[in-house]
Amino acid sequence: MSPLDPAVGDLVLAARKGDADAWDALVARFAGRVRAVARSYRLNQADAEDVSQITWLRLVSHLDQIREPERVGAWLVSTASHECLRTLRRAGRHTAADEGWEEGIASADPEVDTGILASERDQALWKAMGMLSAGCQRLLGLLAADPAPTYEEVSIALEMPIGSIGPTRRRCLDHLRVQLARITGASEGSPRRETPT
Amino acid sequence: MSENKTGQPTDDDDDDILLAELRGAVNRIDPVPPEMMAAARSSFIWRTIDAELAQLAHDSVLDDQPALTRGVAAPALLSFESAGLTVEVQTVRDDGGCRLLGQLVPAQAGTVEIRHPGGSTSVAVDDLGRFAADGLPSGPVSLRCRAGDASVDTDWFLT
Repeated sequence: MSPLDPAVGDLVLAARKGDADAWDALVARFAGRVRAVARSYRLNQADAEDVSQITWLRLVSHLDQIREPERVGAWLVSTASHECLRTLRRAGRHTAADEGWEEGIASADPEVDTGILASERDQALWKAMGMLSAGCQRLLGLLAADPAPTYEEVSIALEMPIGSIGPTRRRCLDHLRVQLARITGASEGSPRRETPT
Repeated sequence: MSENKTGQPTDDDDDDILLAELRGAVNRIDPVPPEMMAAARSSFIWRTIDAELAQLAHDSVLDDQPALTRGVAAPALLSFESAGLTVEVQTVRDDGGCRLLGQLVPAQAGTVEIRHPGGSTSVAVDDLGRFAADGLPSGPVSLRCRAGDASVDTDWFLT
């Protein structure tokens, strides 16, 4: 998705005029991203729900003031990050704690039957994520939001320069491959495929 | 997805594929909870265009030096400003929910409707501009303040 997707801006303008369908479309597009931000701050489920809800309520009250409607994703990510930080501070924590992927927001248990079939591969990926450093979990967890966030949005949420996202993403995916290979015992052990010369 | 000059798959392709796999796994194992989606959609009912928005001007939680004690629920002090009215709010969390104390500046009598996603509570503002409410649910709140000719909504905040 282009960071300057004009359709997003049109949705904001339509919602401004009271179009509830346009609002629902914005939620459908960005709810995963807002939630991924909360996850990246290791909030528990209740706090993540509060952050998600206040982020959307803020957008409702600021709809008329959004200066760049096509960049509403960045606005949402910025607002959500701000509220995550506030929630941590309020609880006497000053940074995203180094709780693991599975102890944090991700209370979901891949073994539990959620009615949706998670394949063995899914479960291996989930487990491998849990073995990564907190930094890699935060970055990959955010990048794995659906639809994917822009690098600008990632940069805002994680307070990291846009230029370092690409190299860090590459390094973290290499770590993920290594952990995945340990779990599956498969031959995916080589960090990345040798490029034919 | 990118290809190099020879049309061979690149490392970037491998990374894109793995990330897409991860996205699918996260989506299946831990999707956005339906109640979170529903709450986001229903936020739209709070859209109003008749009241002036009092913007958050100060928030002790983020603007002030953090307390030295960890794990103690210190009160949060927030200040919302609009052209004609400033609303100062203190929230304290306790076992029974949240206690809220407020002050209108300039001081004047009126009413405050404490709006939260589960409903709303109205409280009176005394002649000194003070108001209070107990046992509020924790979570998002906005105050609709009416005093004299002014009708002002504070921005949403977490109690």
